[in-house]
Amino acid sequence: MDKDLKNYKQAFEDIPGTRVFTTERARQGYWLNQFCMSLMKPENRKKWLADEDAYLKDWKITDEQKEALLARDYNRLLDLGGNIYFLAKVFSTDGLSFVQAVSTMTGMNVDDYKAMMSAGGRSPDGVRSIKDGQ
Amino acid sequence: MAKITAGIATSHVPLVGVGIDQGKQDEPYFKPIFAGYEWTKDWISQPDNKPDVVVLVFNDHASAFGQDLIPTFAIGCAEEFAPADEGWGPRPVPNVKNHPDLAWHIAQSLIIDEFDMTIINEMDVDHGLTVPLSAMFGQPDAWPTLVVPIMINVVTYPIASGDRCFRLGEAIARAVESFPEDLNVQIWGTGGMSHQLQGPRAGLINAEWDQKFLDDLTADPDRLRQIPHIEYLRETGSEGIELVMWLVMLGALNAPKELYRHYHVPASNTALGHIVLENNP
Repeated sequence: MDKDLKNYKQAFEDIPGTRVFTTERARQGYWLNQFCMSLMKPENRKKWLADEDAYLKDWKITDEQKEALLARDYNRLLDLGGNIYFLAKVFSTDGLSFVQAVSTMTGMNVDDYKAMMSAGGRSPDGVRSIKDGQ
Repeated sequence: MAKITAGIATSHVPLVGVGIDQGKQDEPYFKPIFAGYEWTKDWISQPDNKPDVVVLVFNDHASAFGQDLIPTFAIGCAEEFAPADEGWGPRPVPNVKNHPDLAWHIAQSLIIDEFDMTIINEMDVDHGLTVPLSAMFGQPDAWPTLVVPIMINVVTYPIASGDRCFRLGEAIARAVESFPEDLNVQIWGTGGMSHQLQGPRAGLINAEWDQKFLDDLTADPDRLRQIPHIEYLRETGSEGIELVMWLVMLGALNAPKELYRHYHVPASNTALGHIVLENNP
């Protein structure tokens, strides 16, 4: 494995449609992700669902992160430092399954996404590398 | 002396837990998923194959560990662990009971062996640990085995290399084999196989790559331990990286022989893989 940190991380940015959760993203999304952790308590889930705006006032998240959260825009949340396992607390609180929530990031509707999975999933052909186009 | 007799690997897809907890095993979607565990459920219920302790390698999915604390390698040493509330209430499964003497022995041995483990005395365990137990044992009132949890960070990069994970497995085997109590110990690797849960590329599955990985657990372990992270990410999707945890299992085994395998697409967003390996200690 590449032991040059720069090369190791640079390669991650060459994967189409993918945000690898690097320390830069972890720093950017720290409070966003920690907010998500708070939804592991039933009393917090209740408060969050009752008034999302008010709940977020206690968290040091940016306006952009807040907007994306309220819109449940998961691709944007990933861009703003969110990690899918943390964000899972938000969509689980909404009562969504992983398939339902994950499909929203693909530009497909949930039925088409399910049909793709049942037919064997998305092929890696063509989505391995941005620079090599394969 | 304690002896590692077998390795078992399996995906730990949350939906598999849902299927069991909600009694959906016979529904058409779930049937082929669960049919693939029948062989192992029968095998593991035989007296010779029933483990006293499972050293269970898993990753936490932002349940016990948030961003405030990110151990690369950790070992659970508490008496027992409760199922975590991952946002929809804890799974209705028994608490997981440890073998604390063995766990503390492994923790100390690993540190002396230059694996600087984080020791966990308080942890709720999420689907990464409980779904494999449900897949193998169904819905008992108490789990029929003790469990030593080994937690690997596969969420925040850089994570440990595949080779480092393999060598951790070798060190776990040395630790187990120096424990004086007569114990039938299994090592389980969990997570994978190909899947991506994020971004426009979500839903990626690479059955060909996965099958070759299953083949090479016995045919060419040296190839597997050298696979770089970027290959997992490109070929198996961003969450396929969990397969490094199978390498911890593999490192703890000596010239393993394949007894059984199961591979099915899809389970939720994931290629479900499962293999049983006999050890030659």
